[in-house]
Amino acid sequence: MAFLLSSDPDTSSPELKRKKRTRSAEETNAAPFTSQRQRIKRWRTEREQQIYSSKLGEALRRSRRSGREVRETADRLLAVSARGATRWSRAILSSQRGGAELRKHKKARVTGNGRLKKLAGGIKTVENRRLPAVERKMKVLSRLVPGCRKLSLSNLLEEVSDYVPALEMQVRAMTALAEIIAGEGGGVAPSPADQPGTS
Amino acid sequence: MSSRRSSQSGVSRISDDQIIELVSKLRQLLPEIRNRRSDKVSASKVLQETCNYIRNLHKEVDDLSERLSQLLSTIDADSAEAAIIRSLIM
Repeated sequence: MAFLLSSDPDTSSPELKRKKRTRSAEETNAAPFTSQRQRIKRWRTEREQQIYSSKLGEALRRSRRSGREVRETADRLLAVSARGATRWSRAILSSQRGGAELRKHKKARVTGNGRLKKLAGGIKTVENRRLPAVERKMKVLSRLVPGCRKLSLSNLLEEVSDYVPALEMQVRAMTALAEIIAGEGGGVAPSPADQPGTS
Repeated sequence: MSSRRSSQSGVSRISDDQIIELVSKLRQLLPEIRNRRSDKVSASKVLQETCNYIRNLHKEVDDLSERLSQLLSTIDADSAEAAIIRSLIM
């Protein structure tokens, strides 16, 4: 069963959301292959990009507009598009909502696994002969992806595999959006060559 | 299987299997490496390029956020919205 619970994250309580996330994370792990691929493919579709563009356009119209707020809105909507399926998206949402408590709980759950702490610590102490450069860069990578600092190698890879196409979509969508708006404000008719969703 | 077992047992070494998995997965994500010959890429390089790529994407998002913020402050919000809707319909 690979379909993930996609209730509106804006209305779920944090606790309920956490339980749902646990269940869906387990379901994902049970059948990671198909559902992960489908998720990743989705980021590359034009439809997904257009949905994101229009949501972002609408949100920006309503909200205050400093560069930082635009970034936060863009990230939040991107995370929402992930529908709770990935750690990076959940980390973005919980950090934006000031979910420090959520993070505490998540930490307890995650490090309870023993292996994760050891992985983080073991990078420095164990296995000097075993590619320290690789492990060092794994750490750097884990810090670049939200919410992924203490993951095992496989889990980190899974998150990165989803995060990168999501970011790419975000860039394409925001670029297209900027061109649409710039075209409008220039006083000239928007160029027909500007196609949102072209990748 | 062995890679999973080694991470569960608490031994934190990265196995060769994991390295292979890492290289193959990350290579698929990176635009340039995808086109190169398969046996020439080290795990370290793939990781480095992934990190660079993500950092670049972050920077692009930041720059685009700035640009959008400036555009929206100089343009009437309604006409911006209308332009967006028009372009999505067409």
